[in-house]
Amino acid sequence: MQQNAFDAIVVGTGMSGGWAAKELTEKGLKTLVLDRGRMVRHGDYPTAMTDPWDLPYGNRITQETRQRKPVQTRTGYPSPANQHWFVDDLDNPYTEVNRFDWIRGYHVGGRSLMWARQSYRFSPMDFEANAREGVGVPWPVTYDEMAPWYDYVETFAGISGSLEGMPTLPDGKFLPPMELNCVEIDFQKRIADKLGRKLIIGRVANLTAPLTHQESPQRGTCQYRNLCIRGCPFGGYFSSVSATLPSAERTGNMTLLANQIVYELIYDNDKAKATGVRVLDAVTGAQTDYFAKIIFLCASTLGTSFILLNSTSSRFPNGFGNDSGEVGHNLVDHLKAPGVNATVDGYLDVAYTGRRANGYYIPRYRNVGKDKRPYLRGFGYQGRAARSGFGRFNDNALIGAELKQAAQEPGPWTVNASSFGEILPNHLNHAVIDRSRKDKHGLPVLKLDVVLRENELAMQKEMVNDAVEMFEAAGYKDITVNEKDTYAPGLSIHEAGGARMGKDPKTSVLNQWNQVHACQNVFITDGSFMASSACQNPSLTYMAFTARAAHHAVEELRKGNL
Amino acid sequence: MSAESPETMQRREILRRAAWMLGGAISAPAALAILQGCSAKEQGVPAQAAATRFLTAAELALVAEIAEIMIPKTGTSGARDAGVPAFIDAALDGVFPPADRDRFRAGGEQFEAAVKASGKPFLEREPAERVDIVRRTLESALSTGHDPKPFILMTRELALLGYFTSRVGITDNMEYVAVPKEFHGCVPVAQMQKHVYWE
Repeated sequence: MQQNAFDAIVVGTGMSGGWAAKELTEKGLKTLVLDRGRMVRHGDYPTAMTDPWDLPYGNRITQETRQRKPVQTRTGYPSPANQHWFVDDLDNPYTEVNRFDWIRGYHVGGRSLMWARQSYRFSPMDFEANAREGVGVPWPVTYDEMAPWYDYVETFAGISGSLEGMPTLPDGKFLPPMELNCVEIDFQKRIADKLGRKLIIGRVANLTAPLTHQESPQRGTCQYRNLCIRGCPFGGYFSSVSATLPSAERTGNMTLLANQIVYELIYDNDKAKATGVRVLDAVTGAQTDYFAKIIFLCASTLGTSFILLNSTSSRFPNGFGNDSGEVGHNLVDHLKAPGVNATVDGYLDVAYTGRRANGYYIPRYRNVGKDKRPYLRGFGYQGRAARSGFGRFNDNALIGAELKQAAQEPGPWTVNASSFGEILPNHLNHAVIDRSRKDKHGLPVLKLDVVLRENELAMQKEMVNDAVEMFEAAGYKDITVNEKDTYAPGLSIHEAGGARMGKDPKTSVLNQWNQVHACQNVFITDGSFMASSACQNPSLTYMAFTARAAHHAVEELRKGNL
Repeated sequence: MSAESPETMQRREILRRAAWMLGGAISAPAALAILQGCSAKEQGVPAQAAATRFLTAAELALVAEIAEIMIPKTGTSGARDAGVPAFIDAALDGVFPPADRDRFRAGGEQFEAAVKASGKPFLEREPAERVDIVRRTLESALSTGHDPKPFILMTRELALLGYFTSRVGITDNMEYVAVPKEFHGCVPVAQMQKHVYWE
């Protein structure tokens, strides 16, 4: 047992696991960090420097990839340039009671390598909503408690953005904002004048200037290639691989092991504590137990639900820490609606240089202040204006020298808007273990049942209507709703819930420090803890809660409380 | 456990140096040159024209000519220079579902049959006639419903994609900068030498 014993175990190396690894090792804890997928170290980005002409098939997805990755390709993201970051669905099955798009990256760094890097704080309004409206359980944490932790993670990660002074979208410790382009500035003015809505440049985890600290010498500034999803050898954006794991490694306190599938927590009845984790080696099939004083589950929302539900014992017959019956329940994602496009007359004498890895953001304005809708909560928009490329000639009769000449000019301006809306937590939206099926490792699979309900369906209509209204107000033409965009939960890749935090152990799984109520040496800091999801991209909030929980864990450990 | 190739270890070492340089005084393009040098040999090479994958030799000749009429060699490279015929053949094989590529094949046969019905086969027509046929076929397709896309519009979309993702198609027609370093949101087009590559 000694050889497999550590101070701490971190399960998962994505957005949350990377932060847990960094914070715990920097506080001096000997920490075992496990990922179920293959090893990736900063720089192991095989396509990062590939020019467009060296990608097969013009970077279009192949039939072979569609066959192996039928769920992952529902997003439209996988392509020859990045498909190695998306799991093989045939090897990693799950059961969909209703369509649920479970988009995963099984490798060190997880989805922090492929994320869209949009980084927004939750606001006081977001933390207060459950209590005010009687939805789900009240958050046991306030914005004011979280603000210094947002400061902390923003400073380390490097978030670029503009200071706006909006109560609904608090400012942070920002690097300089990226620029809006000329048409986005036009759009910003028009919707402010006509509709009183605010448009800002996206707040994004790309370095627009050197970091304000010396902890990440491997990171350089954003080079405006807009190829982030492939991994950035310049370290221009934040990921576990580029930022937190290198910091953890430098402490000398981290043991990082790849291909280690944690499938069960070990609970000791006498000590009333979790003592370790059971691990299956994804390559050799070998089984190993690892032991530690504290365990951080950062295995992703659904990965953590699986581990908890699969960890049964006489103390926890219905799954680890599941006295409340809420483990695996209250799953949410961010609601999407069909995207809306328009063309913009004029501005033909201006364009932009560089490829900005970012767009505009329109923060939530619905159900804010005096605005009252027939549904609860709200949504935000993300989009960009751009000059159209050669695709505009697909359905066009120009040929020959005329076509080539036309293609050498930038096309007309287009603008698009897509939205993320809040999904209300609901006990009925849940995951259970399906023991009738096995994955290639012989483990049972998850069965997911999440559906949109009345509030979501009402909001979804307005998400489309408001975008059309904004483009009409701006005087833009050819407004098109992309009716082919279908949304099912999971598609936004913002799945959360399953082990919500709350004050009352009878109705929640975690306390305000992300500790399992019934077993306080287990901390869960991936998306599982979310008592509600607001409508902002969630990663920054996961980072802040993880850093805060890790500091609390170390304090409690030193006090002898764990 | 994962075994690391010598290339991986080499890349990591180079990356460490590149990152150090970026943090220091040397510019990103200098680091880029090093990075490109060590990653080039790992990249796949697009299919060559020597053996076809889906199209017959006769079909390939037809598609190649239509693509070249749409994107001819002028002061800059044309579809054939860019390897568009082989690109289309490979894409039909690798990217298209069987139903779509069968529709493409059937559409090509109909195109040939329609041309022959009024005289010689397409490839035996005079160059000006061939251009005229392509133009009229395109206009006719665009004037009616075209979902799913007929042969001529599938060929066009593939030709544009193959051409504008090829090295010559991009570098002859646009200002391709692998590492722009900066973003400027509002630049007069008159100040740009060429249409900047943004795709």
